[in-house]
Amino acid sequence: MNYLDLAMDAALSLGAEYADIRIQKTTDQVVSMRNLSLKNADIRIIDGYGIRIFKDGAWGFAHNNVFSKEAVIKAVNRAYEIACLSAKVNKDKKLKLAPERSYIASFKTPLKVDSFDVPLSQKVEMMMDVNSIMMAFDGIAQTNFNLIMHKDEKLFASTLGTRLEINHQFIDPVITATAIHGGDSQSRTFDEGGRAVGWEWIESMDLNEKAKQIAEEALIKVKADALGPEERRTLILDPNHLGLTMHESVGHPTELDRVLGWEADYAGISFATPEKLKNYQYGSKIVNFMGDNTLEGGLATMGFDDDGVPGQKWHIIKDGILNEYGSTRDTAMEIGLNYSRGCNRATYYYDQPINRIPNLYLMPGKEKLSLGQLIADTEDGVYIQGRGSFSIDQHRVNFQFGGDFFWEIKNGKLHRPLKKVLYKSSNPEFWNSCDAICDERFWRPFGVVNCGKGQPSQTARMTHGASPARFRNIRVGGSQ
Amino acid sequence: MKTEDIRRFITDNVSADDFSCLIREIDSHETRFAQNGITQHLAGPKMSITLSLSFGKKSGSSSTNQSDEKSLRELIKTAEDIARLAPEDPEHIPSAKEMKLPKGENLSQATLSLTPETMVDIVQRSIDKARAMDAQVSGMCEKHHFKLCMFTKNGFNGTDEFSSFGHSMTLKKGEVETKVSYDSKDYAGFDLDSLFARLASQAEALREMKSFDAQKIAVILRPAALMELLWYMGWMLNRRQSDEGFTPFTGMLDQQCFGELFNFSSTRTKAEITANSFITGWGMPEGIPAMETTWVENGVLKNMPTSRYWAEKTDAKPSGIFNMYIQGGDTSEEEMMKMVPRGLIINRFWYIRPVDMKRGELTGMTRDGVLYFEDGKVKHAVNNLRFNEIPHEMTQRILALGKEELASASAIIPTALIKDFNFVDKTNF
Repeated sequence: MNYLDLAMDAALSLGAEYADIRIQKTTDQVVSMRNLSLKNADIRIIDGYGIRIFKDGAWGFAHNNVFSKEAVIKAVNRAYEIACLSAKVNKDKKLKLAPERSYIASFKTPLKVDSFDVPLSQKVEMMMDVNSIMMAFDGIAQTNFNLIMHKDEKLFASTLGTRLEINHQFIDPVITATAIHGGDSQSRTFDEGGRAVGWEWIESMDLNEKAKQIAEEALIKVKADALGPEERRTLILDPNHLGLTMHESVGHPTELDRVLGWEADYAGISFATPEKLKNYQYGSKIVNFMGDNTLEGGLATMGFDDDGVPGQKWHIIKDGILNEYGSTRDTAMEIGLNYSRGCNRATYYYDQPINRIPNLYLMPGKEKLSLGQLIADTEDGVYIQGRGSFSIDQHRVNFQFGGDFFWEIKNGKLHRPLKKVLYKSSNPEFWNSCDAICDERFWRPFGVVNCGKGQPSQTARMTHGASPARFRNIRVGGSQ
Repeated sequence: MKTEDIRRFITDNVSADDFSCLIREIDSHETRFAQNGITQHLAGPKMSITLSLSFGKKSGSSSTNQSDEKSLRELIKTAEDIARLAPEDPEHIPSAKEMKLPKGENLSQATLSLTPETMVDIVQRSIDKARAMDAQVSGMCEKHHFKLCMFTKNGFNGTDEFSSFGHSMTLKKGEVETKVSYDSKDYAGFDLDSLFARLASQAEALREMKSFDAQKIAVILRPAALMELLWYMGWMLNRRQSDEGFTPFTGMLDQQCFGELFNFSSTRTKAEITANSFITGWGMPEGIPAMETTWVENGVLKNMPTSRYWAEKTDAKPSGIFNMYIQGGDTSEEEMMKMVPRGLIINRFWYIRPVDMKRGELTGMTRDGVLYFEDGKVKHAVNNLRFNEIPHEMTQRILALGKEELASASAIIPTALIKDFNFVDKTNF
């Protein structure tokens, strides 16, 4: 049965102005090991379809997991009825959809070895080796290894005539060592945030060596000094850490639905309002952010979004100036754009797609600059690696971040390890304080696989990237 | 297949030594509105069948949302294949046994019979009210019907059925933003007029805003704010994590580590809030009876959420937080304002995250309106503030508690007056 055509024909015959169907099968394999106890080894399958109908300036969305002609038609009817109900409320505030052409296309995440084809026994053996290495260190009280493999197989059809077949997958290994010493407990984590690649990525990393490193660093961290009271200092942030900082302070504020107030009741709104486009000094002149859903290995690189709009690459911040948003077909028209940047994504078949952060990265510095040179050029500061505590206000202005590993810098050298370091800053102070970015040799991508947003809540994934960068005159100190 | 057929099929076809199975079904209708229009509107059923099984001490699990025979055979085969490949788990325990479970009364006919038309009418009336005051409203009107069924090889047999209705509204008028919400198993208790009147009253109180610097200051935490802090603290109460030295509660069982005015339990005695029959695990099936449990009594830590494995190892009773009841008092907000020279009234918090798990320290922002009071009276609104605070230590600074309120479908929480709340930064709105 061709459910795609069935649904689209039924939607058109009801009078839909636009409709689409997304048949989506999501498969997750999650393997979790705590010390040498296998806490979870499972495969989860979520399979069904969601039908969106646009009528009189409003959406209706219905989903089901039953694959039959009757069930599909019932879902189309339900989506249509819901759209009509919504349209009565929207009579003075009709949504509009940005123009889009039709596509017949397919996309498959490029990979050499499908991680779902690798036997569980091989995965478990690797995880036990890693945890055993960490547990052998005196003072390591707990080790955790979580391995997530995720696959989305989607068929998409719209009344524009678009027909898409998309197979997207990613893998995410996260390894943590927790040390206890002198009444304190501190963790160190290896987490690249996931990448849309195959098992070959795991094989290219020496995870046993990473395990040794994070166990050693957890022990260094738990015995390290805490930083004293807050003072203005220089920060050097590594690409992994910056991935989370840019996610919260650039990615979310430049989602157009937030800018429009569509997330006002839950995830919040944005200070980066439309009158600031093309004139607001978001960052210093060396700060350039790209939205790029064509990035190789990117978690949001899937050929097309769930509006059927192709992946694109564009400046979100150009030479420090707010340039453009991440948009969808229904948000773009609200600010007079007649195109979408293809940022509409849903998590599962039963989720209505919403405006999401694209792959978003900080461009490397144009001048040749290594991390060693950057540290050597810093008289007094703190170097932060990895991700820790993070919190930002609902307009995306004020924030406080921790990290995973910290070094104090004195006279151009790593002076002593630290723990419990926090920094506080705000937009636009933070990105305007960026005075140096290492060059492209040091640029690294890092994913985010747990971006929560929306009501009902959804979890999206995207990739960020950066070279190490320096920020001046930031408030840095211990907790409390 | 229907639930009973699925149960029979799983029981008849699993060849593993032991198994637990959890079937979850949800039927939802969700209308999301923003800036006086509907932006999302969705409906449909969801279900999942999660099967965990073991051969000896070798375990595997699998889940599907398809209930036809072919999918169920695949489910069993996948879980059994995984278990055969898995190493022996030193922390393996048998599935939950047959036991008498408390009965939950969590279903409201008023909620179940709510139609999409009525829900859209609620949204329309919310928008009309906002327009009448030249404001914009955003929110979510939602209803859900949940069913759970868990059974094991060892005879555990539990079912639960819940309804829930929620309507939230965030009002924006000029620079003022504030929020109210209703979240309950029972739609019958919902009154849009009074809820919107509270929203309008909050907005009116916030009209005049002055800049305010971060400092330690007395706060009146309204129920939604206190609930948000305590949920995060609840996660740190995990007994195993504490016994192994990772939380502030290591060695604190039966110790006075909270304030004397603080009493926290999961209860079956409050009809307004949801109380399950049994508790599932993080990675699914566990099967712990949801019994009345006092976590903190007069500031003394009496019990900690304990998994079945850790309970067996430590000779404790397995338990979990299935709802939150914080005992209140009889002090009104007006009386609280007179008990301290000056302070802040906090509606809600936002983006709470751990800063230091070992100390139990959290950070977060205020949201949806902060009021400054002095000499017993509200003076004006102030900007939002960031806090770094340790909730269990904060309870030692509770000066008074107000009357208990339904804060969510699973929480009854009072307003609390707390001295020296630790604000560390401010934002620009």
